[in-house]
Amino acid sequence: MSRMPLPLDRHIKPKLVGYDPTRPRPGVERLAYTLFFGSLWALVVVAYGLVPALFRSQGWLDGALGFFFYAVIEALLAFGIAAVVALILIVVLRKYLGKVQERVGPMHYGPAGVLQTVFDALKLLGKEDFAPANVDPLIFRLAPAITFVSAFLMLVAVPVAGGWVMADLNVGLLFIVAASTLGAYGVVLGGLAQGGKWGMLGAFRAGAQLVSYEVPLALALLAVGVYSGSLRLSDIVEHQQGLWHVVPMFIPFLVYLVASIAELKSTPFDLPEAESELIGGFNTEYSGMSFAFFFLAEFVELFLLPALVVVLFFGGWHGPLFGLDPASFAAQALQSFYFLVKTAVWVWIFMWIRATLPRFRDDQLMDLAWKGLLPLALFGLILAAFLRMFVEVV
Amino acid sequence: MRGPTQILPTDRADEMLINMGPQHPATHGVLKVVIGLEGERVTRAVPHIGFLHRNHEKIEEARTYPQIITYTDRMDYVSGLQNELPFILAVEDLLGVEVPDRAKYLRVIFFELYRLASHLVWLGTGMLDFGAITPFLYTFRDRERILEIVEKTAGARMLPNYFTFGGVRRDVHPDFFKDVADFLDFFEKRLPDYYALVLDSPVFQARAVGVGVLPKERAIARGASGPVLRASGVAYDVRKAEPYDAYPEIEFEVPVREEGDVYARFWVRFKEMEESIKIIRQAIEKTPKVGPYKGKVPARMKVKGSRYRAVEISRGHLGAHVVGDGTDRPYRIKHRSPSFANLQLIPDLLVGARFADAIAILSSLDPVFGEVDR
Repeated sequence: MSRMPLPLDRHIKPKLVGYDPTRPRPGVERLAYTLFFGSLWALVVVAYGLVPALFRSQGWLDGALGFFFYAVIEALLAFGIAAVVALILIVVLRKYLGKVQERVGPMHYGPAGVLQTVFDALKLLGKEDFAPANVDPLIFRLAPAITFVSAFLMLVAVPVAGGWVMADLNVGLLFIVAASTLGAYGVVLGGLAQGGKWGMLGAFRAGAQLVSYEVPLALALLAVGVYSGSLRLSDIVEHQQGLWHVVPMFIPFLVYLVASIAELKSTPFDLPEAESELIGGFNTEYSGMSFAFFFLAEFVELFLLPALVVVLFFGGWHGPLFGLDPASFAAQALQSFYFLVKTAVWVWIFMWIRATLPRFRDDQLMDLAWKGLLPLALFGLILAAFLRMFVEVV
Repeated sequence: MRGPTQILPTDRADEMLINMGPQHPATHGVLKVVIGLEGERVTRAVPHIGFLHRNHEKIEEARTYPQIITYTDRMDYVSGLQNELPFILAVEDLLGVEVPDRAKYLRVIFFELYRLASHLVWLGTGMLDFGAITPFLYTFRDRERILEIVEKTAGARMLPNYFTFGGVRRDVHPDFFKDVADFLDFFEKRLPDYYALVLDSPVFQARAVGVGVLPKERAIARGASGPVLRASGVAYDVRKAEPYDAYPEIEFEVPVREEGDVYARFWVRFKEMEESIKIIRQAIEKTPKVGPYKGKVPARMKVKGSRYRAVEISRGHLGAHVVGDGTDRPYRIKHRSPSFANLQLIPDLLVGARFADAIAILSSLDPVFGEVDR
């Protein structure tokens, strides 16, 4: 049955005849994802491999000035990695949700919509950063920064290949726990400082949820530390040379997985924002770049928490090296590639969970943390201790 | 007792009053509920309605009978077409109009198609309230196919203004029965997905079982109807109690559940969708292939007398009381709308629940504000 052309149609007619911006173009998308991944890998190789190698070979690290420049450059590169990861993951998540929900996702900016986030970021930069009348101005501005910095801090301790790590801390696991806990401050303070009731409810929920889930999360990390005999993340990865930790440490793995999704505040644990209950919760009153920092922090965490799953349980950078010398640059670049691929798989699983499940209720969330995960994590810790003894005795 | 507009600031230190709505995403339109919260526990809940009041009943007094049909459409805009029927049935009774068989069956098919469409909207937006975004897009995509079929025949989608006195306004398009049968086959394949995403999902069950329990006596006392009533164990369905159109010739069951909780209300609507599929299949089989689609109606309608007719729309018992004074315009029309009665349950169900449950309970009541406010 043919439809009569309506006068309104001229408004929606595309400017170019025969050009449909919403036509799915899987080839373009695949190419774009490959480029995204490649650029991230290149950035990682530069930040973790080339720059330190350059400074070391020239002997610049010995002088205070050289070290200062090194630190500044590395910090900038780390920020670059965090920003690129967030920019990539936002558009990938939106595209992936589109696929799951049988729609095309963003299609209008860049070929097949792959530049959507760039334009989003530009829009947020141009927006007025509005603050309502009764906010606490200092804390209101500080909170997004705290959240973003805490997410970004975790990046420093994550080893991406043998010897490739920005700060090889001997208390790496504790540093991770501390940095991720800091993020809870940003969320709670941001919710309370905005002076609105929805923000306050969101802050309460965030405080309860994030603090509760820190406990099983820390215990799961501790179990891994006990089993591998070190809190240094690169030692933990080295320890998985033969057997990935996911096999002996399966219980801490499960605990860590659930607790890290709760830390991430994504469904089924998105209670602090809960757009259908609390209208955004802690970020109700945020706009412009303040909001963008919360948003970026969320996506940096969406990269880092799966990355920690890989580091702690899935062998980190380990993979077949095809006879390359493990200390050579090529082998390290290959290892960082394995690390990024494994992380990408886990990011996808996190997104998949986000697309499928409804939300828990607050009391069920607490039940799960204190009655379910905490005993399980303690059991995992005891099991880890026994396994460690067994390994040392035999 | 204070009226709902006289809520004063709370005098309790541990209670916080919060205005949920009228711009809140989970209020399905323009409901405002003043909620008292003690932590996450709801201590009071006072619904405020009237934000979508458009004065239907008074406007209809100034319109001729055929003009009124298009106003009735706009009450429960989610299941638009169903709203036309009680008014049309009442006027047909007063005029003594005979409805031909084909028209009766066509009305049943459209009526149940809109029930499917409405329940799909409810399911999608309801799951949005539970925090799951994916079912929303699935259900709206399926609903789109129903609206496309309706559009082909009636020319409009949500508010088609298709039923009329004595039958339907025009005959269906040539492929109508094939289109509908195709859609039903398609939809039957989608239903297991919805079961997996919603009813069988452990997270959903944890949220819904035992939440917002509505006892049978309270449901009856508050005048609840539709799935809300049937989920509390009362097998009242206007299609069975006072059958209209071709429903007496069609076999179907009325799903009833005893628990009266959010899960039961979801379950009843799921089963109703399955029953609707059965009803439409039977109606397609039984529709006379030829025959008039509209009975004889006087060109200038002079209606005298008063008549109340009711139908079972997606949300429950929708009635129209038409009083004619012998002119071509009604003396008075009163619409009895199910969501309005169901909303009276808000204080009963919400007080004592947790805040997240309050959202779940609201979505299980499935109010549509075009019909609450009229």
